[in-house]
Amino acid sequence: MNDSKLVNVTINGVPLQVPKGERIIESARRAGIDIPYFCYHPRLSMENGANCRMCLVEMAMPRTGPDGTVTLAKHPKPQTACSLPADEGMVVETETEAIVKARRGVLEFLLINHPLDCPVCDRGGECPLQNNTLHYGAGASRYIEAKRHYPKAYPLSEHVVLDRERCIQCARCTRFTQDISGDAQLDFLKRGADTQIGTFNAAAFSSLFSGNTIEICPVGALTSRDYRFRARPWDLATQKSICTECSNGCSIKLDHRDGLVLRVNGRVNEAVNEEWTCDRGKFGLPASISGERLTAPLLRDGDRFREVTWDVALGVVAEKLQAAGKQAAVLAGSKLANEDLYALQALCRGGLGSVRYDYRMGTQSSEARDAAAMLFGPNPAPTGIAGLEASPWTLVVGSDLAVEHPIVFLRLRKSWRFGKSKALEMVSSSAPANTHVGAFAWSSVRYADRGLPESLRSACSLLLAEMPGLTATPEIRAWAATGTPPADDTASRRMATALSTGPGTILVGEGALSGPDWREVLVALGHLAGLTGSTGSVNRLVSGCNDRGAEALGFGDWQPGTAGILAGAASGATPALWIAGADPVTQYHDPQVAIAALEQASFVVVSDIKLTATARMADVVLPSCSVAERDGTLTNVEGRVQRFWKAFEPRGSASPDWLIAARLLQRLGKPSVWFGWQDVLADMRSHVAAFGGVSLDALEKDGAMLVAPQVVD
Amino acid sequence: MVAASAGRFSEAGQAQLAEIVSHYPDPGGAILPALWLAQREYGGWLPADAIAEVAARLGRPASEIQGVATFYTMYNTQQRGRRHIEVCTCLTCGCLGAYEVIDRLEQILGIHLGQTTADGEFTLTEAECLNYCEAATVVQVGERYFGGVNAENAADLVARLRGSEGCTPESLSNAIVEAIVPGRNAGATHG
Repeated sequence: MNDSKLVNVTINGVPLQVPKGERIIESARRAGIDIPYFCYHPRLSMENGANCRMCLVEMAMPRTGPDGTVTLAKHPKPQTACSLPADEGMVVETETEAIVKARRGVLEFLLINHPLDCPVCDRGGECPLQNNTLHYGAGASRYIEAKRHYPKAYPLSEHVVLDRERCIQCARCTRFTQDISGDAQLDFLKRGADTQIGTFNAAAFSSLFSGNTIEICPVGALTSRDYRFRARPWDLATQKSICTECSNGCSIKLDHRDGLVLRVNGRVNEAVNEEWTCDRGKFGLPASISGERLTAPLLRDGDRFREVTWDVALGVVAEKLQAAGKQAAVLAGSKLANEDLYALQALCRGGLGSVRYDYRMGTQSSEARDAAAMLFGPNPAPTGIAGLEASPWTLVVGSDLAVEHPIVFLRLRKSWRFGKSKALEMVSSSAPANTHVGAFAWSSVRYADRGLPESLRSACSLLLAEMPGLTATPEIRAWAATGTPPADDTASRRMATALSTGPGTILVGEGALSGPDWREVLVALGHLAGLTGSTGSVNRLVSGCNDRGAEALGFGDWQPGTAGILAGAASGATPALWIAGADPVTQYHDPQVAIAALEQASFVVVSDIKLTATARMADVVLPSCSVAERDGTLTNVEGRVQRFWKAFEPRGSASPDWLIAARLLQRLGKPSVWFGWQDVLADMRSHVAAFGGVSLDALEKDGAMLVAPQVVD
Repeated sequence: MVAASAGRFSEAGQAQLAEIVSHYPDPGGAILPALWLAQREYGGWLPADAIAEVAARLGRPASEIQGVATFYTMYNTQQRGRRHIEVCTCLTCGCLGAYEVIDRLEQILGIHLGQTTADGEFTLTEAECLNYCEAATVVQVGERYFGGVNAENAADLVARLRGSEGCTPESLSNAIVEAIVPGRNAGATHG
């Protein structure tokens, strides 16, 4: 592995200083020297690596003779640059006659069984095998014998298709499932010319991260069922974006054509997703914004909708809102940008004098949220995603991490894989036997239904028994000693040994604080964090895409919250309700309550990208923009504000929610000074302390963290 | 994934596996002997359940175990006949009439190479060098070698096999397990 010592190497006559042990392929790349490869990937292990033989180089090392003279001893055989660690005095040549010939030979072998069906292959145009063959291969094939044949387009799963004929056995996908996602579903079967990748017993490739294998496949062997045959890469335009399917906020690339997102690929962001995506984002995002979209405002006309102009629609909405005044309410969806939420807030507070706005659809009360924020600090999440790598132990409570926070899960697994962190987990006994974190957890403690507080108390009790010298108040000791006696099982004791090693990280899923016992959970978490010295590294995991942004803006501070707004709509206390980008009919934890409220509400306006179940019940429907059709910022689970870019024009006359709010403000006689999304952001930066540090420069890069509030004693 | 507890390993098989695994620093090192054991416990071949059980017992991904099982030709990932007749066709046997033996056996059994008779009694395949060249042509059936086989005595071989004990894929697997369980054969080289 790398250490900090620098060594002198020479590549193609260029003298370089590189970290000792760095792989030559990386040194060469930084020096702008191109070494072709297929199987090498900086994030995959070298176990089963160096197998494609494409990165061959010639190498010589200095050797001191008996008389003290130093000569350069050339290694007789070419070496794979991807596995060659840099060492003092190493001399590497990448373009010698022997290497040029060797590469051509390697390509000839790789192409023996490759069908060369590039014209009908999805990878054609962005294929490393195609590119390297063009640059380094022979112009024509000498191979006239029969090629290996397999049935085409074998469906590995609902997302991934395998063409075994095209596979060059680089082991990138198998290493991905073994090293990165950890489900180890893919491996090589059979041998020799019959070698092929497959799953055990031809089961579906059900990994939560299967889409990444499509991206890292250096040929067209693994392709996406959604994207297959829908475009050629040269017909696509690419825009940088942020995934909105969960709160992790992955940096992604939207590949689009004709106003349609055809596929999502990962974009490098070392602070968040490195370069990975989860299947929910990769395949879910294009699906969620495609299909039948709203293109014009709709006005209810009996039991039907009639298309109207914005002027008419906004006129109706403004009139109703104005009449409702401070009784008007807004429900915002979790995918709305920071700018939308800020503008909605301005509309409510400044335009209508109302404080009735919320975004929460779950059972967590604002009381629980605020208490947790008070106890563990509101923003940003203290450890964050990348910070997990340095944490000696990480305890996960109240979250099926791989499903709810896939990228946090990958980072936790990475920190375990490199031996830096012990993963600890408390899960309900009703969870499946093999949890995702449990597969590598140092300890996975099970608790009976709603038994999380007791489980935490038991952990404290065992910890105090483990470390008699621990500083703890008599109250805490008394608290830990009461309740049911600590579970004296292997998992609990193992967890106590990890917790006793010093401060670590606690990840608290939204589920942990959403039940009626949230106070007990919070008290127990507080004590556990205090005893382990981890009070400053308790991270609350919010579920919705921009829930963290909403929280930082103080959106939904109104106590009765969503429940109160829905109750008001039902009773007539809320005469006008704007539901922006939310679908309570399907998203609210008690859909019947939402449906009943919408049925009885006197006036409901819904802005959304599609005619959702909620929109069907509205009086006015306004078309808004998806993440692909506008600019803005989102705040992810760790409190990182990240920018997304407009990829293509909105459908019809659709408009982002902040702009709808701005136009309504104008009609209410309180015009804003927002001409673009940046103006909303600028306003937000100067008026909301948490966003004070969000600079446009940082937004162009990896994003900017929310600013923690100044504590005034 | 089949839980280990739901598997078909006998008590004796579980004890043998534990003994084998105890000699490796990591259970993942014991995949090959564990597969032999599984092949015996599952009646001479490795159905998917057998692979799943080995995976569960060794704590390895099932895909990896299947990769190993399908890499080596001596593991039967498909069910063979009760007698698996393997005719060596390497250099010496090939020169000394292995192909006549195969022709004759195909005629007697009414099957082609690689096939199994309708009654499930015989499977006929080629084998790479069985390392008994002085007795060419050599035929392996289960754990036994038969030397000096030719077109004339092939029918006798088949007749003998019909009535004999052992010589099944299961007994071959068992013989290998017996040979590799540490401590069973004092002084023998452990595989």
